[in-house]
Amino acid sequence: MWRYLYLHWLQLKESGSIFANELYRIFHDGGVMIIFFLATLAYPFLYKAMYWNEQISDIPLAVVDLSNSQESREFLHQLNATPDVLLAYTCSSMDEAEKLLRDQKVHGIIYLPRDYARQLADPLGQAHISLYCDMSSFLYMKGIYLSCNMVMLESMRNVQIDRYEDMGYSAEFSWELVQASPYTSTTLFSPTGGYGSFLVPAVLVMVLHQTLFFGICMLAGTMREEKKELYRLPGRKRGYSAFRTIFGRGAAYFIIYYALAAILLGFLPRLFDLPHVGDIVDILVFNVPFILSVIFMSMCVGFFIRNREAGFVLLISTSLIFLFIAGISWPKEMIPTGWRIVSYFIPYTWAANGFIHINSMGATLWQSRTEYMALWILTVSYFVLAVTMFLIAGYRQDHKESHRDEVLEADLLSESFGTVYQTEG
Amino acid sequence: MKFILSRPLYLVSSVGAVMVSMFFFMTLMEGGVAENMPVAVVDLDQSAISRRLIHEMQATPSVDIQVITNSYPEAREAMQQGKIYGIFIIPQGFYRDIASFKRPRMDFYITNAYTLGGNTAYKQMLTVSNLVSGAFQREVLRKKGMAEDIIMKRIQPIVVEGHMLSNPWGNYTIYLVSTIMPGIIGLIALMLTIFSVGSELKNGTSIEWLNITGDNYTVAMIGKLIPYTIIYQTLGIACHIILYNIADFPVQGSHVRLLLGLLLFIMAMEIMGIVIIGCIPVLRDALSVGALYAMLGFSLSGFTYPNMAMLPFVRALSYLEPLRHYYLIYVNEALLGAPSINSMPHSLALSAFIVAALLVAPRLHHALIHQNYRLK
Repeated sequence: MWRYLYLHWLQLKESGSIFANELYRIFHDGGVMIIFFLATLAYPFLYKAMYWNEQISDIPLAVVDLSNSQESREFLHQLNATPDVLLAYTCSSMDEAEKLLRDQKVHGIIYLPRDYARQLADPLGQAHISLYCDMSSFLYMKGIYLSCNMVMLESMRNVQIDRYEDMGYSAEFSWELVQASPYTSTTLFSPTGGYGSFLVPAVLVMVLHQTLFFGICMLAGTMREEKKELYRLPGRKRGYSAFRTIFGRGAAYFIIYYALAAILLGFLPRLFDLPHVGDIVDILVFNVPFILSVIFMSMCVGFFIRNREAGFVLLISTSLIFLFIAGISWPKEMIPTGWRIVSYFIPYTWAANGFIHINSMGATLWQSRTEYMALWILTVSYFVLAVTMFLIAGYRQDHKESHRDEVLEADLLSESFGTVYQTEG
Repeated sequence: MKFILSRPLYLVSSVGAVMVSMFFFMTLMEGGVAENMPVAVVDLDQSAISRRLIHEMQATPSVDIQVITNSYPEAREAMQQGKIYGIFIIPQGFYRDIASFKRPRMDFYITNAYTLGGNTAYKQMLTVSNLVSGAFQREVLRKKGMAEDIIMKRIQPIVVEGHMLSNPWGNYTIYLVSTIMPGIIGLIALMLTIFSVGSELKNGTSIEWLNITGDNYTVAMIGKLIPYTIIYQTLGIACHIILYNIADFPVQGSHVRLLLGLLLFIMAMEIMGIVIIGCIPVLRDALSVGALYAMLGFSLSGFTYPNMAMLPFVRALSYLEPLRHYYLIYVNEALLGAPSINSMPHSLALSAFIVAALLVAPRLHHALIHQNYRLK
């Protein structure tokens, strides 16, 4: 019994020494330190600074008002009052406005034709407004379209009511006709409706995911370059110690990253005033399988990396792919099935969505159980895969070494036999 | 130059990375327009008219009703689990109230945690709610015996005609891939520049490399970069052909000028690679810094979130990213078809990156000769 425990204690100590060794390697590697600490701590601040304003206001527009009437001026006045757009230039012709658009002085043109007021005055007239939008950014288009439509609806109702009243309907009845059922729209989970509150939480998860992934792959590549044993205890010739190696090294990464994750996902949303309606305990619990699954996935990938820089090029382009495949920027429903299946193997997909659900939308851990369980399944699968690969590699190495040993022994034997023969001869 | 041939892996992997990314982004967004966004309808009325409303909404291309329920908490939970992007509430007694001109109020809730899905759902719900009023108005006017065409004019006295210039379909792929792909090529160009110069330092071969050219730093550097530039420009041209000739994405201006912009961009990224390895002549540290710098370029270029909304100092930072200048050249040439004089400042800015290379030249030259930095 004691012996059994003692043996386990020894194994644990070996894991411990790998753990300490890995920590030493991390803290003595400038490149890894930059990725692990500088990147994780600097990036969130940079991104917060980038999306500081949350909203795009005062998108410059050029106005071509050929109608030049009381009605058209009123419409433009209301449009200018919306927060999203700013009527920056008044032009006398479309050519002039197009030039402004080409020079990027404005991002859109609003054109009111000559007959605008006349059409409105005609009880059966239909006035047309043309809107031109440069497509350099979708957010410009969205801002211009929405505010223009809002103002249009508003003035349209007024026109309709005036016309019905002219027809002799009561004001009340006219309103009922024009808008039989009014509506209220509410934006949930981010009162400002800002771009930063949407993107920064996803970026925080991405920063953790990718820096950990890069860092582990870099360390694995370095070990290969330095011809160190990646999958065995240092200094050991034989035997399988995949489990202890993975456990020891994993623990080193986990300790660092669990702390970083607590800062980035627990503390920063509060500091940055991002949405943070989730329960902090839920987030901390959720982080466990997130960090673990990334560690084991990176170990599996790192296994194939022959030297430090080789994987870098390939790894770096994965960041953008991971971001889009996870269904954050582009809705997951629109992603083809093939890519969606691929996305299920990437911890980021589950981690980012789960974190957004808990942190930004106030879901409980129970409500996010799909993502939480998926991360645990990934953790276990990648762990088993890593252990298997390390074992096979260890076995093959052993096989090679023992084969070499046999050859050596045979040589020695033949030599000694040789001497025997010689003496006999 | 021999270096590339001796390590074909890097060439293959960089071409591979570009091809995989290209394939990924071209196939990711079928059609590039968000359709069938899942939403929930909370039907508290359960009347013939509410069912008809649901039916009408389901028939629209933008939304897909996933949940029909009579409890708001259930719909909200579905939203918190990321299953739906919006909730549309039909109030109790909707049918009765609308028939008796009481103007019942519809409510809709949109998630902001997923911008694109939420926006699409929002736009569609807005349209549907206006349609409800329009349909009612039509019914009443019809009963009063008005003709259909007159009714339409009554219902919509003002029409807004939107024109999305150069991208009339609102295709997301066009706008995304046009900046991301050059960005990835530039990123790889930067990384491999750091790598090829850094490796000479790491392997201690930098003196031999300089000796080939008789200790002429400039010639050595240019000689090293020419093959890379050719490779990446070729990749860039391949992407260009796929995007603008095969996939037929719009280019209003000149293809040649756009490709010239790309060449300047790739060279600026290579120069930034030299600057980074020149400032930090340690391969591993420089690679990490290079990766961080290049990744920032994507966000700072302003193709997703416009620069005009960024803080002034961030906006100033963005001009240190070559991708920002390339993006502006792209907008100018491809989307606006503006005169080439408008992209000149950005072409000049890209060329100006060479100054930075000159600044680090003495330091890097010194490092190459003395190899006086730690290897790891």
